[in-house]
Amino acid sequence: MTSKPNKSADSATPTSRTASEKSAIAELQRRAADIEQQLHHEVRAVLEGWEARKKAYSDEQYVYTVRNREIRVDNYTTSLSGTKVPKIALPTFTNWGDVVRWCMQENVPGEFPYTAGVYPFKRTNEDPTRMFAGEGGPERTNKRFHYLSAGMPAARLSTAFDSVTLYGEDPATRPDIYGKIGNSGVSIATLDDAKKLYSGFDLCSPTTSVSMTINGPAPMLLAFFMNAAIDQECEKFIVDNGLVDDVNAKIDAIYAERGVPRPIYRAGDGSTELPTGNGGLGLLLLGVTGDQVLPADVYAACKAKALQNVRGTVQADILKEDQAQNTCIFSTEFALRMMGDVQQHFINEKVRNFYSVSISGYHIAEAGANPITQLAFTLANGFTYVEYYLSRGMHIDDFAPNLSFFFSNGVDPEYSVIGRVARRIWAKAIRNKYGGNERSQMLKYHIQTSGRSLHAQEIDFNDIRTTLQALYAIYDNCNSLHTNAYDEAITTPTEESVRRAVAIQLIINRELGLAKNENPLQGSFIIEELTRLVEEAVLDEFRRITDRGGVLGAMERMYQRNKIQEESLHYETLKHTGQYPIIGVNTFLSSKGSPTVVPAEVIRSTVEEKQQQIDNVEAFRRRNDHVSSQALAELKAVSVRNGNIFEALMEAAKVCSLGQLTHALYDVGGQYRRSM
Amino acid sequence: MTDQEPYVPSTTIRIVTAASLFDGHDAAINVMRRIIQGTGVEVIHLGHNRSVAEVVDCAIQEDAQAIAMTSYQGGHVEYLKYMYDLLRERGAGHIHIVGGGGGTILPSEIEELHAYGIDRIFSPDDGRSMGLQGMINSVVKAADHPTPDVFGADLEQRVLERNPLALAQAITAAERGEHARIAFAQGARRSPVFGITGTGGAGKSSLTDEIVRRFVNDFPDKRLGVLSVDPSKRKTGGALLGDRIRMNAVSHPNVYMRSFATREANVAINRNISAAIEILSAASFDLIIVETAGIGQSDSQITEVADVSMYVMTPEYGAASQLEKIDMIDYADLIALNKFDKRGALDALRDVRKQYQRSRKLFAQSTDTMPVYGTIASQFNDPGTNTLYRAIIDALVAKCSLGWVSSMQSDDADSEKIYIIPPDRTRYLAEIAEENERYDRFVDQQAQLAQRLWQVRGAIAELERNDT
Repeated sequence: MTSKPNKSADSATPTSRTASEKSAIAELQRRAADIEQQLHHEVRAVLEGWEARKKAYSDEQYVYTVRNREIRVDNYTTSLSGTKVPKIALPTFTNWGDVVRWCMQENVPGEFPYTAGVYPFKRTNEDPTRMFAGEGGPERTNKRFHYLSAGMPAARLSTAFDSVTLYGEDPATRPDIYGKIGNSGVSIATLDDAKKLYSGFDLCSPTTSVSMTINGPAPMLLAFFMNAAIDQECEKFIVDNGLVDDVNAKIDAIYAERGVPRPIYRAGDGSTELPTGNGGLGLLLLGVTGDQVLPADVYAACKAKALQNVRGTVQADILKEDQAQNTCIFSTEFALRMMGDVQQHFINEKVRNFYSVSISGYHIAEAGANPITQLAFTLANGFTYVEYYLSRGMHIDDFAPNLSFFFSNGVDPEYSVIGRVARRIWAKAIRNKYGGNERSQMLKYHIQTSGRSLHAQEIDFNDIRTTLQALYAIYDNCNSLHTNAYDEAITTPTEESVRRAVAIQLIINRELGLAKNENPLQGSFIIEELTRLVEEAVLDEFRRITDRGGVLGAMERMYQRNKIQEESLHYETLKHTGQYPIIGVNTFLSSKGSPTVVPAEVIRSTVEEKQQQIDNVEAFRRRNDHVSSQALAELKAVSVRNGNIFEALMEAAKVCSLGQLTHALYDVGGQYRRSM
Repeated sequence: MTDQEPYVPSTTIRIVTAASLFDGHDAAINVMRRIIQGTGVEVIHLGHNRSVAEVVDCAIQEDAQAIAMTSYQGGHVEYLKYMYDLLRERGAGHIHIVGGGGGTILPSEIEELHAYGIDRIFSPDDGRSMGLQGMINSVVKAADHPTPDVFGADLEQRVLERNPLALAQAITAAERGEHARIAFAQGARRSPVFGITGTGGAGKSSLTDEIVRRFVNDFPDKRLGVLSVDPSKRKTGGALLGDRIRMNAVSHPNVYMRSFATREANVAINRNISAAIEILSAASFDLIIVETAGIGQSDSQITEVADVSMYVMTPEYGAASQLEKIDMIDYADLIALNKFDKRGALDALRDVRKQYQRSRKLFAQSTDTMPVYGTIASQFNDPGTNTLYRAIIDALVAKCSLGWVSSMQSDDADSEKIYIIPPDRTRYLAEIAEENERYDRFVDQQAQLAQRLWQVRGAIAELERNDT
């Protein structure tokens, strides 16, 4: 052990010591050696490296290497007053016990157990902002995406789908379907819709990432997305090799033969002009796929490149759907099997930068669960996927990095540590129990501020709640963040209200001085105590779930559902009696009694947009009539012989609509059975 | 807002509850259906994500007075107007429609819907001024009348044509004791009746649904009636008729389903089931399935009405001696051992077969030939359920001398569970808790050692100091 805790009198000249002193020193030295023997080698390494580590964070720059590349990061920012604010502030402990405990339970961001964060530093060129959008047809949402990402260094798109899509059906004139087309989300029923939706964004660029909030029909929407990305790569190849005219002629010939017009990008108002920011990438191959116009080897190369480069997340979390959100369409076991097929396909095709699932507590919390239950159920679901994928023979390090998490942040005290506890429990279990590597140990999560905490009375106050929740999230080093608009409790947010919501994040990230520091929560007594309490409570819940046969066994008894309902009732009761104060809702009412705000009008999709989606999907089905039934038969055959359904979906999605795919899979996998 | 007393209905009221199509928000309707039931109503609950056709068909088949909907996902104007139109198109314009959707339904839209003929859409302000019970009282009071006699003298003709509302009203007439209206059904050639009973939670409805699904695929031209009985609450007279929520296969043009509340204590079979069987027989249904409330001892009442009866149980009945107490093992023609993925399923199969053999003194036959089948109804295309289905058809064909030819292969397979989590891994969460706590103890122990080392080193340094 080279580091010295106390300054020993090295420079002093040896003088006479009493015999008893000598023997005491000898005895103590024997004991020190004995204790040192018992120290684990990692602990010894911690102590030996402590001084060097402190220096690394106190020098002007922090230097580390990623994939053999040296990265230098400034260790300080300077305030207007000239104060040098460290990005990472380390404890000033001298006692080795404190040092060891801190390094093994807290540690700096980017090191096991990742309590303070999974990366050593935040990205300097990219805020974690990711705003959810989706309305009308793909063209309208495409315009909104370009509006939201204008001027941003990175395009972080988050897609909300309409409920027709969420339940895996096609737009149709039947009134109970018709009224929902393009409302509260975008209508996507075909590969062409997906191409339009993300057109003008390079889906294989490292600065583009796409999140899709879809669960029941996630495999189908993912297949649409992946094919859209592949065809973008094909388009880039066509342009780079001067083949545009050639390919256009081929497509014209294909359509001339079928006697139907080529599909086009056209907004609901009939305009075919692309929105500002959309350069048209992704639209050349509308109505066809790359393999129809390019040689097989070129297509295969474009496909491989696209799959290895796409970035994003598909929610696809079927367990929380059954526990809280209810957009299950297939039997749970069949849905899980397809999730496994997606992950296996990702491994086979080296899809490394796309999360195959976003294990979500958000909907559990929105349904009424308290933060501890949200966290416990969500982590338990995550470990269930781990166990399932392991049982299918996948290696932990091949899939764990493809898992991501999604939590709600409300105002409860536990939300101040939700990321800390999640990261710590995950890292410990993945390293110690599953033997996963560092990438696998790192839990990455998205936060959306709590929609349930927003109220329809005094809606101006909602931004204050969102600000506090965003502050929790940013101090806790979330990896991505959506801040709700203040008017979400009463209507679909407007451009104005969404802009304010984004401003909340930007003000914290860029104006708030303390947020220049990247570990502001560490070292706080209450944060440490809350972390410990919540971690313990989560592990207790793990035991209760185990007593019910694990997550799936507990679901069979509707344990999760019932617990969420009980907690929801508890909150509603306290809110009703006023024991739980909500400003402008049950206390501090205005002289007018803080009435419920009713929106003057609500943004709804237009008749033209709905009709266009219906016409488009009908035209798509008609022109693919000669190939779709064969594709669906093949899809079903693959399922029956236990092949990889997602691999088959990647092909079928080229020529079949969402509704066609869903119904084919019902035949071989069974529909969801409701329960109560 | 004051909490009101529940309204006390003067007639038997039946209300269908559901959440709109593509809409998973079921929290509100779950609260409402409980209060409606507590107000003495028989509630037929369909759950979330229901199309207008599904809800309307259900309300007609059940001869309900009203439909209560929630919609939180938009499209409510189109949805509810379509419901109103479809009810009229199917001759059931008398069925009330009420609903709510919190702030998602604008006041102007409420006006529009009321003007169209929707009976009542509740707003959040109504909730505050009337209270939950107040809202439900107004709904129940408005529905507190017998359903009108839609067909009059044409009832018989319409029943013979299998008009669903006519079938429903004829069954209601039987329930009301209006025997003259349904006299035509007496003496009709009786259709085969298959009875299903079993303990609560054994998965009867799921198994019934799986049998219905196979039947409509196997016999696309045959008509199937499903009569399902659930217990009434003695305290309020209300009942939760919850079988339909699990039934995916009954939304089929060849299927008529009717839910019954027992309306008296300690009986498994509504006394009007026999009349309902007569009516469906008169209407030439090819098969009638009767599913009864699983309340234990009175289960064997099913054998009084069924040609072939089946008892549904699970492997979780306790010790083998418990089987001797189950009456239905003595009476049932077939036994389904559902949830066959549960621990000890193979032992249970052997024990139940033995008990079946003992109760009938069939000692000359092999235990393996006893008609006891392991099934996992929750598993899609479950081989055990296929085998069971084929055994049911064979038993009906034999007992009722039917000429049916099933195309379902019978390969005598039992269910085999396709596990998501292998059975020996179900403790994974507890193991994680243990592993993480082991790490925490390790950290504590190491931190203590490090502290001691630091202190000892400090003591050495102190002793080595010269300047004392």
